[in-house]
Amino acid sequence: MIINHPLLGPRDASEFVVKGAASLIDRPDWQAENATDAFHDYMYLRDNPAGEHAELWYHEQGDRSWLVVTRNTLTHEVTKVEMARDVARARGRSK
Amino acid sequence: MTDLTLTAAATLGGFAHDFSGTTLTEITPLAIVAAAIPQGDEKSAHAAIKAAYGGLPTPTETHVSKDGKTRLVQVAPDQIFVVFGSDTNQANSEVNKALKGTCYTTDQTDVWVTLEISGPNARAAMARICQIDLHRDAFPINTAARSTMEHMGAMVIRTGEDQFQLMSASSSAGTFLHAVETSLKNVS
Repeated sequence: MIINHPLLGPRDASEFVVKGAASLIDRPDWQAENATDAFHDYMYLRDNPAGEHAELWYHEQGDRSWLVVTRNTLTHEVTKVEMARDVARARGRSK
Repeated sequence: MTDLTLTAAATLGGFAHDFSGTTLTEITPLAIVAAAIPQGDEKSAHAAIKAAYGGLPTPTETHVSKDGKTRLVQVAPDQIFVVFGSDTNQANSEVNKALKGTCYTTDQTDVWVTLEISGPNARAAMARICQIDLHRDAFPINTAARSTMEHMGAMVIRTGEDQFQLMSASSSAGTFLHAVETSLKNVS
């Protein structure tokens, strides 16, 4: 499988490791009133979609960047590859 | 106290061999300093790098200083390797001074081993162990890529028509040399 890295171009999937669902970016506020429940959901609840699925991929044997790879679990087609940093910033993260 | 004089030794003892016209050589001495760009201070760091070395590398293309002595390789989105021939043991402070303290610098000299493969069989030998597309058009001169070779992390930099610099961890230098040497023997 080839991953089209946004900075580096096409790279072999063997250079990457997969962390899990991209929802891990949305870490709850630990100081919030409902932090215990929010962290329970963050830690243990995962969607298991048949279709489009966004995941965090780490380019461990490459430039060490974190990516959000969107792929279709039914067809294995990779539809989108973004820098995780850009995705996090678009969702309001400062860094 | 006894007066001791320490002499730097090359990781692979300065390996150099010719395989039917294609040479495999350890490049030594070679200083490598990592410059990490502080988050939020990218502008001043980039300006200092430009002032010191005349330009910036891109994620895929290295930058060679005007005097040809220093090569900048972008190894991560916010990290650049400054690579130059030096055996002074002062590489880190030299780079830190050149960049006026705008980047976090770390001496990486003894962490890496660097091989140069040069000659008509270089590309054929590489094709067997490296998954990067090294075709002349896909990988122009001065392009760099960090990937793996035989399960070892390695960086490939094209430095000439049929010439590549290969960098890998010095801790597995012997294994890395064996991998490249075997591949080169197989195509020679």
